[in-house]
Amino acid sequence: MTTIFGVPSAVLFGQLLLGLVNGAFYAMLSLGLAVIFGMMNIVNFAHGAQYMMGAMLAWLLFNFLGIGYWSALVIAPLSVGLMGIAVERFLLRRLYGLDHLYGMLLTFGLALMAQGALSNWFGSSGQPYAIPAELAGGRNLGFMFLPNYRAWVLAASLVVCLGTWYVVERTRLGAYLRAATENPMLVQAFGIRVPRMIMLTYGAGVALAAMAGVLAAPVYQVSPSMGADLLIVVFAVVVIGGMGSIMGSIVTGFLVGLIEGLTKAFYPELSSTVVFLVMAVVLMLRPAGLFGSRLDNAGGPHEAPAEAPSSSPRTQMVLVVTLAASLIVAPLVIYPGFMMKAMIFALFASAFNLIAGYGRLVSFGHAMFLGSAGYVCGHAAKVWGLTPELAILTGTATAALLGLVSGWLAIRRSGIYFAMVTLAFAQMIYFVALQAPFTGGENGLQGVPRGMLFGWIDLSNPVNLYVFVTVIFLGGFVLIMRLVDSPFGRVLRAISNHEARAQSLGFEIDHYKCVAFTLSAALAGLAGSTKAIVTQIASLTDAHWSMSGEVLLMTFLGGVGTLLGPVIGAFVVVAMQNYLAGLGQWVAVIHGLIFAVCVLAFRRGIVGEAAAWWRRRKPHGAGPVPAPVQAASGK
Amino acid sequence: MAEALSVRRLEAWYGESKVVHGMDFSVGEGEVVALLGRNGAGKTTTLKAIMGLLQRRTGSIRLDGEEIIGAAPFDVARKGIAFCPEERGIFASLSVRENLLLPPKIAEGGIALDEVLNLFPNLKERLDSQGSKLSGGEQQMLALARILRTGARVLLLDEPTEGLAPVIIQQIGRMLSHLKSLGFTILLVEQNAGFVCGLADRHYVVETGRVVDEIAGDEFERRLESVNNYLGL
Repeated sequence: MTTIFGVPSAVLFGQLLLGLVNGAFYAMLSLGLAVIFGMMNIVNFAHGAQYMMGAMLAWLLFNFLGIGYWSALVIAPLSVGLMGIAVERFLLRRLYGLDHLYGMLLTFGLALMAQGALSNWFGSSGQPYAIPAELAGGRNLGFMFLPNYRAWVLAASLVVCLGTWYVVERTRLGAYLRAATENPMLVQAFGIRVPRMIMLTYGAGVALAAMAGVLAAPVYQVSPSMGADLLIVVFAVVVIGGMGSIMGSIVTGFLVGLIEGLTKAFYPELSSTVVFLVMAVVLMLRPAGLFGSRLDNAGGPHEAPAEAPSSSPRTQMVLVVTLAASLIVAPLVIYPGFMMKAMIFALFASAFNLIAGYGRLVSFGHAMFLGSAGYVCGHAAKVWGLTPELAILTGTATAALLGLVSGWLAIRRSGIYFAMVTLAFAQMIYFVALQAPFTGGENGLQGVPRGMLFGWIDLSNPVNLYVFVTVIFLGGFVLIMRLVDSPFGRVLRAISNHEARAQSLGFEIDHYKCVAFTLSAALAGLAGSTKAIVTQIASLTDAHWSMSGEVLLMTFLGGVGTLLGPVIGAFVVVAMQNYLAGLGQWVAVIHGLIFAVCVLAFRRGIVGEAAAWWRRRKPHGAGPVPAPVQAASGK
Repeated sequence: MAEALSVRRLEAWYGESKVVHGMDFSVGEGEVVALLGRNGAGKTTTLKAIMGLLQRRTGSIRLDGEEIIGAAPFDVARKGIAFCPEERGIFASLSVRENLLLPPKIAEGGIALDEVLNLFPNLKERLDSQGSKLSGGEQQMLALARILRTGARVLLLDEPTEGLAPVIIQQIGRMLSHLKSLGFTILLVEQNAGFVCGLADRHYVVETGRVVDEIAGDEFERRLESVNNYLGL
């Protein structure tokens, strides 16, 4: 048998084919993302869910109605596309003119809802979908065996991709689309119904995702979670290629698939992380992406944070003392286990808020800090036998280091790209945690000892443990509070308000962003380490992307950019999880619903809305009401 | 002369700030009317209000007697008004040909593409260039050319001479006279008094969002001094 660099040629070609097939799906999905983003400036986080719905629908059609593959290939994209049109018409349309992040959050919420509901109804395990009879079997090409269905997927995806490219770049309709991307108002003034065109474009992009889903059904297992993990890889593809060009996303999709295939043949251990490594390299060498020409701008206006200009030291003192007092009294009426969990998540959310709220860099990968710190702290306490405070310090330092490296790379992009980059890095860490020898894989790192704090305080005593967690939480909270009010915090907020202006005042904005990101990572790591000591386990849950989603939810629900918001949000979400635990996957649906409601109805969160209401009631109170931010309508 | 466009008590806002405070004027069919005024007087805003491009506007805008103030921008265009925006609004990512073909035909009677290209020979040579590659003068020609083939009879032109060389301005002036002879109704926003002199049938002077003076075409030269006064020259 011939071998190439020690790998049998049949294996190599087999992996390359598999890579190309994967690449076909990357290309179709990133193409749809690019078309939607070009038209609407929305990163469609529901794209993975819509892909999954295409596959699920094909599966349902076959199993319940006996409708076969070829009909499903038409019916599923049409129906999912129609759902997309309804989503655009009734939900997304309300967000135009706002910051791009809101569209991302809304579609993320919708994705959670779709995925949660389908898991409830049909279980989360994978279901097989048979290859249609016409495409069964394969042929021997001499150097390798080519299954017919894979050949069909490649051909079909190429036709779809090139067809889309042709329509957008070479037809009259495409000219309308490109013109509307540049200047939608003027295109309207020429007599073209731009809102309807946007609606149909979104529908078409969604239908494309659903069609990819149907094509994928016989290749992969059909399950409600099949889209989520794929989407993260597609985001990495988008960052690598740049979202500017249609052809760019097609080429990058196939290219990344091939790289993955090659890695699988030569160094399989790296195959699930290689995409993210390529992304890191591209970010270092060509931040705008291989085919991107310009770097992203920060986007539209944020909802003005409702925080008073700056609370006085007195108010802050009162706040901390009240918080401390209620935390000390709470265990008398509330289960202490719940309180400790909530405090840990409150610290996590506050850390996230430091960068997302005050630095306006919304990270979608903060789970990597929580998770990795937990593992390292657990390992240090269990295997190295360190005392809890040293174990926690080790975990925190690990998260800080990880934050420094990932932050250094991620801050090269801003806005939605920043979110995608951090999400991709977090996914890389997740795969490392899944495969590394010391993490215990799916089982997690169990039996972490609580140990003796400073060698003489026994943390297995519940009272000691509670006080310990309370001190850590309050310490972290006060630190963040002081940080936000410090000169550093003010520069950070100035940068988030207007980057160029802050730069022209002489601030090294990248330096500030990187430091803030590292601090936020370290504090998140502190929360993760403490969690490992308290719960005595470090598990994959803490490193999973859904954890990054949860911390976003806590912060946005409580009030992004407010001190108390993340704390309250964390308590609400943890309470919800405790009391709704019996509902299983419906919790994800409820999370998604809260996301959607937050984005559509109260963008300032619980604390922000309450503060705004309070100040409206007392117009002559302490702080001036912040003027509503208007969409910039340049004359 | 029948009124093609009549604007009454028009008020319009940019976000929170009110820019147009009760505009009153009309444009007869086949007439060339100029709105003259300084920067920030509300001329461009008036055009945008007519096109329906502003969220908040009140008053009355009638096209051939039909009220259009509540209409969406694409409806206004389909009823027969074509718009040539300030700074030309050429789509940089589209070729010259695509830019030319972009506005859809809304009625019969537009100028055929071949004829448009005969009117603008420069564009003929550059049909496959990218919109971003054109010079300022070429861009202005393209912005004018692309609204001639749609069949719209009323043209709103926002400062077509802005930032152009005198020789180009002369060309554009000849072009507008030609369009007038073809029967187009033209509402022109300008700051360049020399350009509109002899071209427009009537002139409205706009200050702080209102019409403060009306000058007939044949009086314009005689009153040039007061016009320059209005324009701050």
